[in-house]
Amino acid sequence: MELSLAWRLFKRELQQGQLLLIILAITLAVLSVSGLARVSERLQVAITGQASQFIAADRIIDSPVKIDAAILTKAEDLRLKHVTNMQFNSMVYSGDKFQLVTVRAVETGYPLKGDIELTSGKTKALPQAGEIWFETRLGGLLGYPKTIELGNSEFVLSNEISRLPDAGFNPFASSPVVLMRMEDVAKTGVIQPGSRVTYLYQFAGDEASLTAFEQSVKPLLNSTQRWVDVQSGDSPIAGAVKRAERFLLLASLMGIALACAAIGIAAQRYCQRHYDVVAMLKTFGASAKQIRLLFGTHLLLVTLMGIVLGLIGGVLLDLGISYLLPPEIAAYSPPLTRPLLLGVSTGLISAFMFSAYPLMRLLAIPPLRVLQRQLEGLQLGMWLHLLLSLGAMALLGYLYSQSWALTLTVVAAVLLLGVLLSVLGFVMIRLGHSVGMKTTNPLQLALAGLRRRARQNAVQLVGFSAALVLLLTILALRQDLLNEWQKQLPENAPNYFLVNIAPDDAKPLNDFMTAKGIVATDIYPVIRGRLTQINGEALISNEQSEAGEKGRVGISRELNLTWRNTLPANNELLEGHFNQAADEVSVESGVAERLGIAIGDKLTYVIDNQELTVKVASIRAVHWETLQPNFFMIFTEEALAPFAYTSMASFYLNDQQATNDQSTNDPATNGQALSADGTPKDAVILALIQQFPTISIIDVGAMVGQLRQIIEQVSLSLTLVLALVLLASALVLIAQTEAGMATRQRELAVLRTFGASGWLLRSATGLEFALLGGIAGVLAVIVAEFALYLLKTQVFELNVYMHWPWWGIAPVSGALIVALLGVWRCRQLLSQSCSELLKADS
Amino acid sequence: MSNVILKNSAINVVNLEKSVTTQEGTLTILKGINLDVKQGESVAILGPSGSGKSTLLGLLAALDTPTSGEIWLDGVALSPLNEEQKAALRKQKVSFIFQSFMLVDTLTALENVMLPAELAGVSNAKEKAQAMLVRVGLSHRLTHLPKQLSGGEQQRVAIARAFICEPTVLFADEPTGNLDSVNGHKIADMLFELNQESHTTLILVTHDLLLAKRCERQLVMDNGHLQEDTAHTAPLADAKEA
Repeated sequence: MELSLAWRLFKRELQQGQLLLIILAITLAVLSVSGLARVSERLQVAITGQASQFIAADRIIDSPVKIDAAILTKAEDLRLKHVTNMQFNSMVYSGDKFQLVTVRAVETGYPLKGDIELTSGKTKALPQAGEIWFETRLGGLLGYPKTIELGNSEFVLSNEISRLPDAGFNPFASSPVVLMRMEDVAKTGVIQPGSRVTYLYQFAGDEASLTAFEQSVKPLLNSTQRWVDVQSGDSPIAGAVKRAERFLLLASLMGIALACAAIGIAAQRYCQRHYDVVAMLKTFGASAKQIRLLFGTHLLLVTLMGIVLGLIGGVLLDLGISYLLPPEIAAYSPPLTRPLLLGVSTGLISAFMFSAYPLMRLLAIPPLRVLQRQLEGLQLGMWLHLLLSLGAMALLGYLYSQSWALTLTVVAAVLLLGVLLSVLGFVMIRLGHSVGMKTTNPLQLALAGLRRRARQNAVQLVGFSAALVLLLTILALRQDLLNEWQKQLPENAPNYFLVNIAPDDAKPLNDFMTAKGIVATDIYPVIRGRLTQINGEALISNEQSEAGEKGRVGISRELNLTWRNTLPANNELLEGHFNQAADEVSVESGVAERLGIAIGDKLTYVIDNQELTVKVASIRAVHWETLQPNFFMIFTEEALAPFAYTSMASFYLNDQQATNDQSTNDPATNGQALSADGTPKDAVILALIQQFPTISIIDVGAMVGQLRQIIEQVSLSLTLVLALVLLASALVLIAQTEAGMATRQRELAVLRTFGASGWLLRSATGLEFALLGGIAGVLAVIVAEFALYLLKTQVFELNVYMHWPWWGIAPVSGALIVALLGVWRCRQLLSQSCSELLKADS
Repeated sequence: MSNVILKNSAINVVNLEKSVTTQEGTLTILKGINLDVKQGESVAILGPSGSGKSTLLGLLAALDTPTSGEIWLDGVALSPLNEEQKAALRKQKVSFIFQSFMLVDTLTALENVMLPAELAGVSNAKEKAQAMLVRVGLSHRLTHLPKQLSGGEQQRVAIARAFICEPTVLFADEPTGNLDSVNGHKIADMLFELNQESHTTLILVTHDLLLAKRCERQLVMDNGHLQEDTAHTAPLADAKEA
C-alpha cells in the first residue's frame, strides 16, 4: 500500500513540478561528479599522454651504469613496453672538420611516445645500421658532408633531425645531437671501461602496470640512478599539469559542495511542504512504520530519478566535450565504471544524508498539527544536521579525490565559511536600520522585512554568499592559472636559442640581427664552474657519501654561471638583496635548500682551475617551466671578469617576420637554396649558421607549439569546470530564493489581501532580495579574497593580489541576480488570487 | 455529568485536565472535565475562541495527552497507550473533518478519499472511494486536484474521506467555518445525513449555533470548564459575535 501511495505521490508531485528543484539538485551533483570524473580522466590521460611525449615514454630510469636485468624482466612481466638508449659525447670527423656531438644510440621501438621530427616531417622510423641522423646545426657546422667518422667507423648521414621527442629544454646543451642504432656502438669502439655514458631505460604501458612497476622498482634504485616521469620537474609541462590537476580536483570538490548545499536546501523545503500531510496521515492512524516507508520510498524515487538524469547528463556532457576536443583525445575512452559508480554513490549519499535531518523532523511532526498549525514537533539539534551534512560532504570528497587531507581541508573550509558568514550576516542585518512595517514605501517595507526576518535571512545569506564565494574563487583561480601559462608562453615566446657566442661574435651577430629586424632577448654570459666549498667546508660526491664519508654532498657536475646587474624578470627575490658588492652571488632557492645554503654563506667555486670565493647575498625563486635560460648562480660582472666566457641569447622568429625582412638581397640568405623545404624562416636560420658557424642554434619552436596545445586543452577543462560551478551556484541561488519566498508567502498574502499593489510588493521583495544579494556580495568578496590568499600561497604557488574590481562587481551583480530571482518568484506568487495564496500558505 | 465509566459510551471522560507551560507560568486550559457521549449520539461543543474547544477535541481524538484524568474511546482507556497504539486506535475507530479541509494538494479527489482506506489496508479502497464521492455528489470531480475544486467541494471530499472507513466516532472541527452560508448549509446537511446513515458518534466543535442545534446535545466550553447548554445564551452571544 505504502509503495503504491509513494509512487502516486511521486507521480503527482512530479507532474505538478513540485519535485523539480530537489531532482535538479541531485541531478547536478551526480552530473558534476560522473561527468567531471570522466571528462577530467579523459583530459588527464590526454594531457599526460601529450606530456609523456616530452620524455618519449611514460617513465624513464636514467642510470650511469646498466641496470639489473631483473628490472627489465619485471617490466616485461607487467607487460610494459621498454627500450634502452645510450647517450654519450664523442667527436665526429668529416675531412679536416670535427665537432663534439651528443650521440644518442637507440634500439628498435624508440621512441615509445611521440615521433622523431625530421626536417622532412615526423617519422617513427630509425636510422638503418651504418647510418646516422644528424641535427640540422651539425650539417651547417660540417658543411653537409655525405659521411662522417665516429670512432673506428664511418656512417652515412641519411636524415636531418629537427627535434628528438625527448630532447627536453636545455639551452646549455651546446653540442649537436646525432642518432644511431645501438648495434653500431660496439663497432665504433668509443665506449671503453670508464667512459661516461648515460643509459636511458624508457618504459610505457597502462597506468596500473606503471604504478606497480614504480612501487617495486623505485626503492631498488641507488642515488646515481634517477626515476623520471612527466611530472618529475624536468618537463616544462610538469608544473602546468600539476596545477591543472589540483585545480580540477578542487573545483570539482567545490562543485560537489555547492550541489550538496542545493540538495540540502531543496530537501528542507521538500520536507516542510509535507508537514501537514504527515500530520493528516498520523491523524488518520498511519503508523510510524507506514510513514517512514512512504516517505523513504518517495525520497528514494526522487533520488533515483535524479541519479538517472545525472548519469545521462554526465554522458551527454562527456559526449559534448569530446566533440569539442581534438580527435586524438576524443579517441581515448576511459572505462565507464568509475564515473558511474561515483555518480550513483554521490546521488545516494548526498540525497539521503542531506535530507536525513529534515526527514527526521518531518517524521516527528505530531498529529495534533491538524488542529494547531504552528506545531513542528521534535526540535532536533542543528549540530546533528551539521554533522550529517559535513559527514556527507567528507564522504563524497574522499570518494572523489581519494585524499583525506584535501577532503578535510575543503570540509573545514566549508564549515569555517558557514560559521563566518552566519555570524557576519546576522551582525550586518542586526545593525540594519530598524523600521516598522510601513506599507507605503517599498524601501521601508524591504528594510523592515530584512530586519524582521533576521534569523532566516542570515541563513539565506550563507546560501547566497557561499555560492558567490565558490564561484569567485574558481573564477579567479582559473584566470590566474591561464595568465600564468600565458606568461610562461607569451605570444612571442623565443623559439630559437643561440649558444656559444664568442665575445668577438657579439657585435657582428648584433648587426646581423638588426639587419634582419630580429630582436634578441636578454643576452647572458655563460661560464662553466664547479661549486667546491661552502664556508670553507669541502663538498663531497655521491660516491664518497655512499662510501661513508661525512660532509655535504655537492652538485656532481659543472654549473653554468652567469653575471647580471639586475634580477632576471621571471625570477623572484625571496631573501636578501640582489647583487650589489662585487663579491656577492645570488642562489636559486631549490639548490640553496638542498645544500643548506643561507644568506651570508661563503661559496667557493673552481673556474678554469682558479678558485673564486663569494658571499651569498640573495636567494631567488626561479620558474623553471618558463622556456627561458635559468641559472642556479648569478654573480656580478666584476667577480667573473677574469674568466673567459661565451654568451647565449634567444629570439622569436616566424615566417611572417622573415618574409618582411627587407635585406633579402643579403648574400647570406642565398643559403636558402641549401635548405630542403626552404621556408623564409629556414633561410634566415641557415644564413645565421653560415655566417656564424661556431654559434649553436637550438630550435624550440616545436616544443613551444606542443606546450601551447597542452595548455589549450588544460584551459578547456578549466572552463568546463567553471561552467559546472556556475550552474551549481545558480541552483543554490534559486533554491535559496525559493526557500526565502516560502517564508515571505504569508506576509505577501496578507499585504495583498489588504490591497497592497503588485508593484509595491514586487518592488519591496526585489529590494529586500537586492539588499540580501548585495550584502552577500560584500561578504563573498571578503571571504573569497581570504580563501584565494590561502589557496594561492599554500596550494597553487601563484602571486597574491587583491581583486579590486570585484569589490564593486560582486555586490552589484549579487544584488541584481538575487533581486531578479526574487521578483520573478514574487510575480509568480502574485499571479494567484489572495484566497489561493492564503490557502496555499495555510 | 457522570463520573462513572459507562459500558455503552463512545467517549467517556473523567476529571480531565490539561495545562501548558508558558513564559508567564503554567496555564490550565481544561479544568476537571467530565463527559459521557453515547454511541451514535451527536454532540456539539460551543464556546468562545480560546476557551479550549480544540484542545478538548485533540485530547478526545487521542491526538494529544492530558495532564491528568482519563479518557475512554469506545471502551479503550487512552492513558496506557503509546503513540503507535493511539494511531492504531484512530485508524480503527476515528475519523476527522477539519475547517481547513486538510486535503493533500498533490493528490486527486479520489486519491484523497482513498487515503484512510489504504492506510487501514482496505482492499477495495478505490471502489469505496468512488462510491463515497458519488454519494457526496462529486462523481464528475474524481480526478480533480483540490485547487481545482471550490471550498464546498473540497469539504465534500473531506466528508467522503471521513466516512470511507465507517468510523465509530467522527470529530469535526468547524466543518463549515471556511464556507459561505449556502455551502455551509449544504455541507451540514450532508454531514448529518451520512452520520445518521452510518450511526456514527459525532463530536462537533463549532461557533455556529444553528449548526450546533442540529446536534442532539450542546455543550459549552467556558474558561476551561465544560457544561451542558440548556439556555443557549452563551453560544448565542458568541454566535452573534462571530
